[in-house]
Amino acid sequence: MKTDRLLPYFLILPTIIYLLIFVFAPLSKAVGLAFLTDEGRFTLGYFERMFSDGRFLEALKYTFLLTITIVPLQLITALLIALLINTRFKGSQLFLYICALPLGIADLAAGLILLSIFTQHGHLNSILYHLGFIEKPFYFISYQHMGFVFLSIVLAEHWRATAIVLVILVAGLQMISKDLLEAADVLGAKPWQKLWHVILPLLKPSLQSALIIRTIFALQMFAVVLALGGEIIPVLAGEAYFWYYIYRNNHISAAYALLLMVISILMTWIYLRFLRTRSEMRA
Amino acid sequence: MIERGSRRKALIYLAALMVALWVLVPILLIGLAAFSPKDEVYRWPKSIIPSHFSLETMEFFLRSYGVIPSLLNSIWVALLTLVLTLIIGAPAGYAVARFLFRGRESFRLGILLTRMFPTALLAIPLTTTFIRWGLYDTLFGVAFIHTAMALPFAVIIATGIFIGVPKELEEAAMVMGCSRLGAFMRVALPLALPGLAAVAMFTFVISWNEVFAAGILTVHNRTLPAHILTTLQASPLYFRFAGGFFMVIPALIFMFFIRRYLLHMWGATAER
Amino acid sequence: MNGQKVVIALLVCTVVASGSEKITFMSTQLVPIAEAEWVRSELLPRFTKETGIDVVFVGAGYGEFADRLVAEYKAGKGTIALAGGLHGDYTPLVRTLTDLSKEFADLQALGDRTFIPAFVELGRLNKIQAYIPWTQGTYLMVVNKMALDYLPEGVDIRALTYDDLLAWAKNIYEATGDKKLGIPAGPRSLLHRFVHGYLYPSFTGYQVIKFDSPEAIKMWRFVKELWQYVNPAVATWDAMDTPLLSGEVWIAWDHGARLKQAIIERPDDFIAIPAPAGPRGRGIITVLAGLAIPKASPNPEAATRLIEFLTRPQTQVIILKGVGFFPVVKEAIGTAPEGPLKVLADGVMAQASSKDLITAFIPSGLGTRSGEFSKIYRDTFVEIVVKRRPIREVLSRQGRLLKRLFQETGAPYPPPDESR
Repeated sequence: MKTDRLLPYFLILPTIIYLLIFVFAPLSKAVGLAFLTDEGRFTLGYFERMFSDGRFLEALKYTFLLTITIVPLQLITALLIALLINTRFKGSQLFLYICALPLGIADLAAGLILLSIFTQHGHLNSILYHLGFIEKPFYFISYQHMGFVFLSIVLAEHWRATAIVLVILVAGLQMISKDLLEAADVLGAKPWQKLWHVILPLLKPSLQSALIIRTIFALQMFAVVLALGGEIIPVLAGEAYFWYYIYRNNHISAAYALLLMVISILMTWIYLRFLRTRSEMRA
Repeated sequence: MIERGSRRKALIYLAALMVALWVLVPILLIGLAAFSPKDEVYRWPKSIIPSHFSLETMEFFLRSYGVIPSLLNSIWVALLTLVLTLIIGAPAGYAVARFLFRGRESFRLGILLTRMFPTALLAIPLTTTFIRWGLYDTLFGVAFIHTAMALPFAVIIATGIFIGVPKELEEAAMVMGCSRLGAFMRVALPLALPGLAAVAMFTFVISWNEVFAAGILTVHNRTLPAHILTTLQASPLYFRFAGGFFMVIPALIFMFFIRRYLLHMWGATAER
Repeated sequence: MNGQKVVIALLVCTVVASGSEKITFMSTQLVPIAEAEWVRSELLPRFTKETGIDVVFVGAGYGEFADRLVAEYKAGKGTIALAGGLHGDYTPLVRTLTDLSKEFADLQALGDRTFIPAFVELGRLNKIQAYIPWTQGTYLMVVNKMALDYLPEGVDIRALTYDDLLAWAKNIYEATGDKKLGIPAGPRSLLHRFVHGYLYPSFTGYQVIKFDSPEAIKMWRFVKELWQYVNPAVATWDAMDTPLLSGEVWIAWDHGARLKQAIIERPDDFIAIPAPAGPRGRGIITVLAGLAIPKASPNPEAATRLIEFLTRPQTQVIILKGVGFFPVVKEAIGTAPEGPLKVLADGVMAQASSKDLITAFIPSGLGTRSGEFSKIYRDTFVEIVVKRRPIREVLSRQGRLLKRLFQETGAPYPPPDESR
């Protein structure tokens, strides 16, 4: 009995120790960067500089816009594909394999791939030309067409990162007991009723995981943005990167990172609160 | 009735075909770009299929300094990360899913918190630590930080998976005389295996994609993305496409190997 | 598990094996693959043959370079024996570098090389000789010969003004319907150098002092006009060689190293010309790359020998001919490379001998905050020209940031400002 009470702590201990060493120790050093000058004095100057930066508000805006566009889109797409796979049509195994392909593709590579499509001499322009829609290349990725840049980033992220949601949902779907679904059939539930009242509630733990993971990643997204839009569309993580890597001020970079962290924590809190799983409710 | 069934079937296949094309066409296009002659990249209008295939860009890319070793590095780092993450993270996921213990919610939140800080700010303080520990410029050093990045998510996904494995089955096994470990090994683990395969894949991908930490924690033993990022910086467009395509190939190979696991996931449900 | 160890051991061996002495040379210069290949296969083997010291050349981005030097400095032991970087790369890193005053004196004592004094002076940071000059470069324009048909009448291409440039780009646009002017504006581009080192000195005579002035307002109105003829895709280009080769841009401004590839691939199609002049003169930047030995260098002796080799007049000429990086020792200056790089060298020479030159330097003394200097000019450009925000409002806001930056760091204004 006593071992049973201690068992969970033994199981989580390695994770805790590992994260203390490799995350929290460096993290605490990094948090200091945002609030302390090189001489060790407390200052809010770095945050002040961040808020007063000409690109700050835009970065904040686009980070939110991209996240709230991409994440729901991915969730819906992945759910539809997962349900499609769940019909168990012949060849669905191959289909799942194909759909999971982008999973192994780095965001840098995905950015380069989409660049080869959207660049002015790229495939999309060539196809439009051959179809007779345009005479000259159309500049999809330029300051004049912020909308297209935004769209291409959404498409790139949607293409690249939907696979992970899909895999989580397929894994979750197959955990759902067939008996329950058959019971629903026996009771005469229509497909959408089955989806809404049986599948989705049971899929909640998977949906919650997928949602949290994708949101946090979407908030930190910048490699794709960089490869496709350069500086045209600023995002918070990109600003943190630029301040760190190009403008060499890790204090302000840390301030951006802290802000991102606060936003991520808020979002996660919201998800955990509004998408409670059953065992949590009991607790 | 038959009519409706076959129409439904046709719709399913049509949908599947469209989704498959959506996934495959971009990969195909970058492949075309990588195997076109160099000057094709700048040509306008481009023909949909390049005039002829050429290996010159890919050959130059492959033969240039450091590409092959960095590829091997990437694979080793990703595998090390995967093993470390599963060994450390899966038990934690199981604990969160199965036990109501004090501090569980704090643990979950703490875990999530760790992944909300951009990599940059973990990596910089770690460089000095790693040099002191002799981990700087080693594959293990990179794998350690990749594990730190992947672990929180591995725990979260594993939790979701173990919640999905009915607790009652395990309890039944214990009633029938299995030890706790035995019940876990014989009942929970086999049922969770396909899901854990998803964790493994996810971990592999995190490590494979990671550029920042890998770039600053190594000098000679660079991973492929770090190597490509530093050399592609000021390279011409055709070169970038070749690099982009080359980064995709290992992903395809990897997915081919893991494919059996995907099938396994499928098989598990079909049998039930 | 064993197999894995073997493979790791093999990987380590390929790096560590061969040669008794081996040092690592990390550089932010010569990073593009073709150049790095040249360094590894043509340049460094000469040194190895002479000294028996193997050199591993590692190309690095600027951020990576800085991170690693700082990390190795803090840890007190390092892997990088010798560093090669731009003046601006070093300014935030001085505390991590060895004072090379003695080594510099030794080099001069050899008597075979005369460093350009201004460059040596630039290398003195925080009272130490932080680096020894290595190569110099500049920004200029490369023009597709097709554009020459549209050159406004009576314009001397070797003494172009900004007004000529505007008229020229306008001519091309009206005749072809295409915007063929190119200024790099991608995230890793050197757009800020164009603003603070070319536009500002040419129009106001200074880089910093007249940031927010009536002359500057006039200048920005002009830039907005010019922007109408700039290719809309510039935001995706970090270097102008790509659009020059694709024909999307006919007239391009950029760093010589970032224009070079176009000339190398099609030497007969392009010419290199001096950057334009404004009302105050022809503002240009000279960039200096230097060699430095980190305090954590595992082998400073070998690094010193490599510095001696790389700054030798013969080697400087080899570097010029091989990759088009210009010499910093007087004995090597004046040698023109043959072949495609001659086109580039001609342009550089023409620019250097312009009579109305205003030479601007990248500021030193801003330390870790030198990146912010670049950011202010970049942001100003984007806000005024791209986002079309009111000029006065942007200039006064960014001007305050600029003023604060120099106040807080106590840095001197960069030339030409200080030589008022």
